[in-house]
Amino acid sequence: MDFAYTTEQENLRQEVQAFISENVTEEIRTEIEQFGSRQNRGSLTSGLYKKISDMGWIGISWPKEYGGQGGSRIDQYIVEEEFSRIGVQVGGAGSGAPAILAAGTEEQKKYFLPGMISGDISFALGFTEPQGGADLAGLQCRAVRDGDDFVINGQKMYTTAAHYATHVYLMARTDPDAPKHKGISIFLIPMDTPGITVRPLWTIQNEPKAPHKTTYGDDRTNETFFENVRIPASAMLGEENQGWYVGAMGLNLDRVGASRYLLSVRRDEDIINWTKENSLGNYQLTDDPSVTDRLADLWIDGQVCRLMTLRSMSMVERGETFTYEGSAEKIWAPEHGVRTTESVSQMLGLYGQLLNGSEDNIEDGVFAHNLMGAFQSGINHGSVQVMKDQVSRRGLGLPRG
Amino acid sequence: MDVLPNEEEQMIRNSAREFFETECPTSLVREMEKSDKGYSEELWSKMSEVGWLSLAIPESYGGSGFGMTTLGIVMSETGRVLAPVPFHSTMTASLAISDFGSDKQKQDILPLVADGNQILTWAFSEEDPRYLPETITTSGELKGDQLVINGTKMFVDNFEASDQVIIVCRTSTEDDPRDGITVCIADTNNSAFTSVPLTTIAKDKQSRVEIRNLSVSKDSIIGEIGKGWPLVSDMLNKSTALLCAQLVGAARKDSEIAIDYAKNRTAFGRPIAAFQSVSHMCADMTIWVDGCELLTFEALWKMDQDLPYSIEVSQAKSFCNEKCLATARTSQVIHGGMGFMMEFDLHLWYRRIAAWTMRLGTTYEHRKKIASALIAHDGPVRLGMNLEAVNI
Ligand SMILES: Cc1cc2nc3c(=O)[nH]c(=O)nc-3n(C[C@H](O)[C@H](O)[C@H](O)COP(=O)(O)OP(=O)(O)OC[C@H]3O[C@@H](n4cnc5c(N)ncnc54)[C@H](O)[C@@H]3O)c2cc1C
Repeated sequence: MDFAYTTEQENLRQEVQAFISENVTEEIRTEIEQFGSRQNRGSLTSGLYKKISDMGWIGISWPKEYGGQGGSRIDQYIVEEEFSRIGVQVGGAGSGAPAILAAGTEEQKKYFLPGMISGDISFALGFTEPQGGADLAGLQCRAVRDGDDFVINGQKMYTTAAHYATHVYLMARTDPDAPKHKGISIFLIPMDTPGITVRPLWTIQNEPKAPHKTTYGDDRTNETFFENVRIPASAMLGEENQGWYVGAMGLNLDRVGASRYLLSVRRDEDIINWTKENSLGNYQLTDDPSVTDRLADLWIDGQVCRLMTLRSMSMVERGETFTYEGSAEKIWAPEHGVRTTESVSQMLGLYGQLLNGSEDNIEDGVFAHNLMGAFQSGINHGSVQVMKDQVSRRGLGLPRG
Repeated sequence: MDVLPNEEEQMIRNSAREFFETECPTSLVREMEKSDKGYSEELWSKMSEVGWLSLAIPESYGGSGFGMTTLGIVMSETGRVLAPVPFHSTMTASLAISDFGSDKQKQDILPLVADGNQILTWAFSEEDPRYLPETITTSGELKGDQLVINGTKMFVDNFEASDQVIIVCRTSTEDDPRDGITVCIADTNNSAFTSVPLTTIAKDKQSRVEIRNLSVSKDSIIGEIGKGWPLVSDMLNKSTALLCAQLVGAARKDSEIAIDYAKNRTAFGRPIAAFQSVSHMCADMTIWVDGCELLTFEALWKMDQDLPYSIEVSQAKSFCNEKCLATARTSQVIHGGMGFMMEFDLHLWYRRIAAWTMRLGTTYEHRKKIASALIAHDGPVRLGMNLEAVNI
């Protein structure tokens, strides 16, 4: 066992921190706040992203031949961790990259990965459909072969990045007669292909607009319609009808990492650091034993999030595949995030209600906005219930219901 | 950074598991609950033959010089089978001697421990059960070259089985309760001791030990007179981390028994594990124990690296207190009525896990320590940082 970073890794962390304090100016922070935290960027943020990419910090663990650094997953974790703390997503988590690396053709890897590193290519995830997301394999969006092409018809729900991504990473049914897991394929499709339309769905977390320190601060997601969308067969990722396996493997790797766990634990640090510096009138929260006991409790649970993430990273680094460890992380962190936001609201009491823009709010209402959305990280990208099924079936070998 | 056990650690774990599962069936655990001594001499001597007792003792004193991480791995295995041996108390005391004792004390005691010929324990707690220096009222008085001790120690592990006991006493009363604490080691075979057995839910051996005019030579003082608190604090921390390791082993096994039971027990025509409310309990137990294990081994590993570890120990213990007990209770629930029956083995785990969660610091005590450190830290805190404990 080794719970420490190497000297090189400590140096890397310092380098990233120095970069952040030098380059992430107040103007950029304001702009991030305006545009939301993810790839959806204004021009200053795009410039920042370009600089980060020039430093070689995006996709560090991806192979050199595709523009990465061939570095360790731990290095990438460190970079992700530092940027996540200021609300900038750089890790490529949730990007589909692991699936492209594992199942892509040489041509696809050479095209997509460098583009994702430079920021010229980004993906919306087109998995969930109106009739269901947890039962992903029940998807109905159809892809029908027509000569060298496929023609896509169907609807996807909660395609969060669809209004700014360049591509959609789409799961569609290619064989309606096969058992449901065996008739699915994945396609990488440019968003400007004719026949794709995007309609916004606004989230409850963002009226008024959440401050950028809010985790899950996206103000919108979308539903995306595919109407006779014609794409070449070369847009397929992996083999025909193998999409379930490619997608599941990619999802497993996309679920873990620093940005995911920090979604849930940044608030632990935030509330502790806030109570250290502030009071509510005469009420000094750090003098109240029921508050400090809870703070310590949240802190410990947060350490478990960190350690579970490091366990996943250690496994990836060793080249081992998860049986249940990624799912465990994806259960513990969101559940903990909920405990934190709900506890914080009881610590702040009346002030805990006040949203961004309100008079007398605390830290632009960040804790209130977090309360409006923490629970949803236990729904998206693999719900807690589905993850627990995975732990019990894959991890513990328990029978299906 | 690689938080998983390396090859050597896995090997040690595997061989410890094989050893303890072979040598310590539940019938032995039950037998020892009823015995006066409370431990199996046969298992103890086999443990010394295989080298588990000498594992963490320095090579220069007859041991093999492994660190706390390795000792924790083995401690976990003893917890798994609920080994009825005074391993935890002996290791607690021998670590204190090997970290803080004089060369003579080490020479006198450690090789005997390594050979299985010396059982040790330690006496800290008094009527006020918190792990704080102000709870120590047992007095130590220097008379010539003798230290004369009077007082009452509570919750002493394995006193009757032990050859020697480390005693924490107060040799002077100062403004700061940490000052004036003195630690010494004494033969238990002395008429100054009266031990009264306590009946614990673990059905193990704890006693209240009354000490009347115990006179020991000044040479039995460990460290310096009146300056014993740092030693005590370190001993408590290491003992706590090892208890966490023991809890992790026991809770893991307890969960595995339930998972196995859930696969085989049927209700409404199917294995109960096919009901999601049951399988999700199984997932929860696994995740909880994983968390306990990660926190515990981070603390143990930091001890080996000479990094600050006191907050890590508190994190591990308060999490283990809650989650290991929740695991044991969940395992009971999955077993239905059977878990509640004396003839079924499951309660052996439940009772011990429950008792261990109450020893060496309650959840509240440990969280208080963490909260104080978080608040006292100058500047913002960040998960994963090294935090210094306050007032230890
Ligand atoms: C903010 C946000 C962003 C999102 N972004 C994307 C995105 O970019 N791309 C994308 O494809 N999807 C995205 N999702 C969709 C997300 O993955 C789905 O919401 C999720 O998979 C659940 O699907 P559902 O909403 O259809 O709920 P359902 O599948 O209808 O489930 C409803 C409830 O039933 C539970 N349930 C379902 N099946 C079981 C079972 N077998 N056992 C026990 N409980 C069960 C679920 O856990 C849930 O609690 C996003 C969702 C949100 C909220």
